[in-house]
Amino acid sequence: MSAKKSLSFALEPRAALTFDDYVVDCAWSPDAAQFAVAGGEGKVALVSVAPDALSLEVVGEHLLGTLALAWQPHGRRFASAGQDGAVAIWDAANVRELVRFRPGAGAAQALQYAPNGELLAVAAGKVVSLWSPGGEKIHAFAPAASTAVALAFDKPGIDIGVALNGEIAVHRIEKSRYETRRYKWPAPSLTVDFSGNGRFIASGMADGTLHFWNRSTGKDSQMRGYDGKVQLVGWSDSSRYLASCTGNEMVLWDFSGRGPEGTRPIVLSGHTDRVAGFAWQPGGEHLVSGGRDWRLALWRPGKAREPIDVQMTDSEITTVRWSPDGKRVAVGEKQGRLTVFELVAR
Amino acid sequence: MSVIPSRVPVTVLTGFLGSGKTTLLNRILSEKHGKRIAVIENEFGEVGVDSELVIGAEEELFETNNGCICCTVRGDLIRILGQLMKRRDRFDYILIETTGMADPGPVAQTFFLDDELKNQFALDAIVTMVDAKHFEQHVDELNEPAEQVAFADLVLLNKTDLVDDAALARIEGRIRGINGTAKIHRTKNADVAIEKVLNVGAFDLNRALQVDEAFLEPEYPFEWGGVYQLAAGDYQLRTRGEHDHHAHDHDHDHGNGHDHEGHQHADLDIVVLPVAAANAEALAGAIEPAVRQFAEAATVVACHGALDPAPSHCAIDVSHPGADFRLKIAKGGAYALFCEHHPAEFGLQLVGQQAAAERRFASHHHEDDIRSIGISDPRPLDPVKLNQWFDYLLKTRGQDIFRMKGVLNVKGEDRRQVFHGVHMMFDAQPERPWGAAPRVNNLVFIGRGLDRAELEAGFESAVAK
Repeated sequence: MSAKKSLSFALEPRAALTFDDYVVDCAWSPDAAQFAVAGGEGKVALVSVAPDALSLEVVGEHLLGTLALAWQPHGRRFASAGQDGAVAIWDAANVRELVRFRPGAGAAQALQYAPNGELLAVAAGKVVSLWSPGGEKIHAFAPAASTAVALAFDKPGIDIGVALNGEIAVHRIEKSRYETRRYKWPAPSLTVDFSGNGRFIASGMADGTLHFWNRSTGKDSQMRGYDGKVQLVGWSDSSRYLASCTGNEMVLWDFSGRGPEGTRPIVLSGHTDRVAGFAWQPGGEHLVSGGRDWRLALWRPGKAREPIDVQMTDSEITTVRWSPDGKRVAVGEKQGRLTVFELVAR
Repeated sequence: MSVIPSRVPVTVLTGFLGSGKTTLLNRILSEKHGKRIAVIENEFGEVGVDSELVIGAEEELFETNNGCICCTVRGDLIRILGQLMKRRDRFDYILIETTGMADPGPVAQTFFLDDELKNQFALDAIVTMVDAKHFEQHVDELNEPAEQVAFADLVLLNKTDLVDDAALARIEGRIRGINGTAKIHRTKNADVAIEKVLNVGAFDLNRALQVDEAFLEPEYPFEWGGVYQLAAGDYQLRTRGEHDHHAHDHDHDHGNGHDHEGHQHADLDIVVLPVAAANAEALAGAIEPAVRQFAEAATVVACHGALDPAPSHCAIDVSHPGADFRLKIAKGGAYALFCEHHPAEFGLQLVGQQAAAERRFASHHHEDDIRSIGISDPRPLDPVKLNQWFDYLLKTRGQDIFRMKGVLNVKGEDRRQVFHGVHMMFDAQPERPWGAAPRVNNLVFIGRGLDRAELEAGFESAVAK
C-alpha cells in the first residue's frame, strides 16, 4: 500500500470534432448531454456528447455572424443572437428553429435566461427587452444612450445588469415592476457579473479598470493597474474570487475576510498570448482558461499560482465552458475544432 | 508554423451630405471587380444593395483617457470589426462610411488605440468626397467640410460637370490651402476607378511622403508668381470673357457680405516688377522685392485702367467678367507678375503671353483657419529632444492638429524614421536606409490655427547639436 497523498486534477481530452466555422461560444444543456455552438460566420449548431464521441448538427444561421448564445436553464431550448439583429429560439429536442424575432434596431449583442428559465433577456442595439421562452415580448426597457454590450441576471433572477458606455444599469424586474438603478463610471463597460451571494456587481471597463459595487451601500471600488481593456470578468461559484483578465494574465481578487480592497491580487501567469476565455467550475474552485497561445490551462487559485494542468489544442482557443455538473469543459477554437475535456483526479 | 496574416486595408470615406458617397458605395458594391469588400455604413439602408457585405453602424463615440476629446474612438467599430475578424473568408477591403457631419478623427483613432484592431486591420486612407457645386458655400458656413478635407489623404472632387473650370481651379486652390498633402481626383457622378480609392496605402509608413512644395515655405501675401519676356509696348491683362457666367455665380455665392479669406473678391492685389531674366531663378530672386511691394499701400485700378511696372502694388478691380487692364512696358525685358490669388480663379491672363516660369505660393491665413504647414530641413535630429518636442506638441496642440506625417533624419540612425498621426495618436517606425540619398527631414502638420513660428521653433529645439 502506498502512502496517502493529496489528489491532483487534470483535464483529459475525451472527444472532438471540427465545426465548419469560427467557434464564438458554446452553451451546455442542463443535463450536460448536449451543447449549442455559435459560429463567427453565423452558423448555429447542436452537439451531442457521448462519453467518447461528439456529433454535430448545424441547425441554422445568423447572417453576418452569431454574437451570443444561451441555453434555457431546466429546459430543452436555447437561444442565439446575431449581427443581423435577430434572435432565434431553438428546440433541441426536435432540432429545429422555434421562432425568430428582431427585438430592436441594431445587432443583438447579448442574451441571458433568468435562472428559472422563464425569461429571456436580449440586448439589441440600445434596447434591452424581455421575452417569454416561446418568444413573446414581455417588456422593453427605454433605450439607453449607448449600445448594451453585456447582460447578467443575479442569482434570484430579480435584477438584470446591463453593461453600457458610462454605466451599469440594473433593471429590477420583480413582480413586473420595472425599476432601474445606475452604477456610473465614465468609461465603456464591457462586462457585467453579479456575485452569487448577491453582495456585489462587477464590471470590466475599456479604460483598464475593474469596478465592483457593493449593492447594499452602492459603494464603488475601483481596481487599477490593468494593461488594457478588462474584457473578461467572472465570479467563482462560491463568490470568493473575482477573476478578471487583460492580455496574457488573469488577475484574481480575493473576497474572503475583509475583501480585496488594499490587498494585492493573485496574478495567474501561464499563457504566452492573450487569454480568450475563462470559466469557473460550477460547484467547485477550479478555473479553466484558454488562450491564443493554443493552451488550455487548469488552475486551482487557492492552492497554486501556476496552472495545475496545461493541454495544447490545434489552434487559437476562443471559448471555454464548463458543463453544469462541473465535470467537463467544452473548448472551442478559431479553426472550428470542438473538444470536450474531462476533469480527472490522479 | 503559422503565417502571420496580412492586415486588411480599411478605407474611411467621409464627405458632406450630398457629396456623392452613396453613389460611390453603390458603384463599388455593384461593379464586378472580383474583390470582397465589406462596407460599414452609418445611414443603414441608404446603400441600395441587399448584401451581406453591408453592415450598419451606430456611430457610437467612446471617450478614452479621461475624456480627452482627441482620444475618442468608435465603440461600434470595435465591435463590428471584432466580429469581422471571426470570419475565415477574409475580406479584401473594408470601407467605413461616416455620416455627412462626422469628424473622421474618431474612426481613424480607433485603429491607433485598439491593439486588437491594430493587429488585424491597417488604416489605408481617409477619402473625402467634395461636392464641387456646393463646397464653397458649405466651407464658408460650417466647420465640418474644411475639417473633412483636412483629414483627407485623398479628395474626390465630385460633380465636376456641374461647375466650370474656373470654379474647379478655385475649389482645388481652397482644398490645397487646407490640406497640402492630399491627392485630388476630379470625378463626375462619383465615377472613379476602384483602385484609386481602395488600398492606396496613404498610412503606409513605407511610402514616400508627397507634399506640395509650396507648403514647405513661409506664407506670402501672394499665391502665384510668373515671369515673362516682354518687348516694349502695350499689353493687356484681362479676366475671363463676358459670356462666361462664372463671375455671376461667384457674386451669388459670396455676395452677402461674405469674404473669401477676409478679402473682397472684387479687388485682386498684384505686383509687376522688372527682373533680371525670364527664368525660375530670377522669379525666386523677385520674391523678396515683391513681398516689400505688397507691404506698400495699393493703388486701386479700375477696369480699363493702366498698370505701371515701376514696380508698384495695384489692386485691380476684377468684379466683372472680362475686366481688362493695360500694362505699359516702356523698356523691353523680363518682368515678374505676382498675384494675391491664383490667376486661374479669375481666368486672369496677360493676353498673348506665356509665362516663362511660374510658381505657386502658400497663401496667408487667418488664425482659426485650417491649413498645412511643412518643414523641410536636412539637419539631423536628436531622438530624445525630438520626443520631448512631440510630447509637448501633442499635449498642447493635439486637438488642433488633425494630421501629421513625416520622414525624419535622426542622428545616428541609418534608416529613415517615418511617422504618421491623427490628433494625439501616432505611429513611428524606421523604414528603408537612406543609402546615397540626401538626408532630409520632411514634416507636415495639418490643423487649425497652426503657428509656423512655433512649429519651427519646436523643430529647432530638436536639432542635434
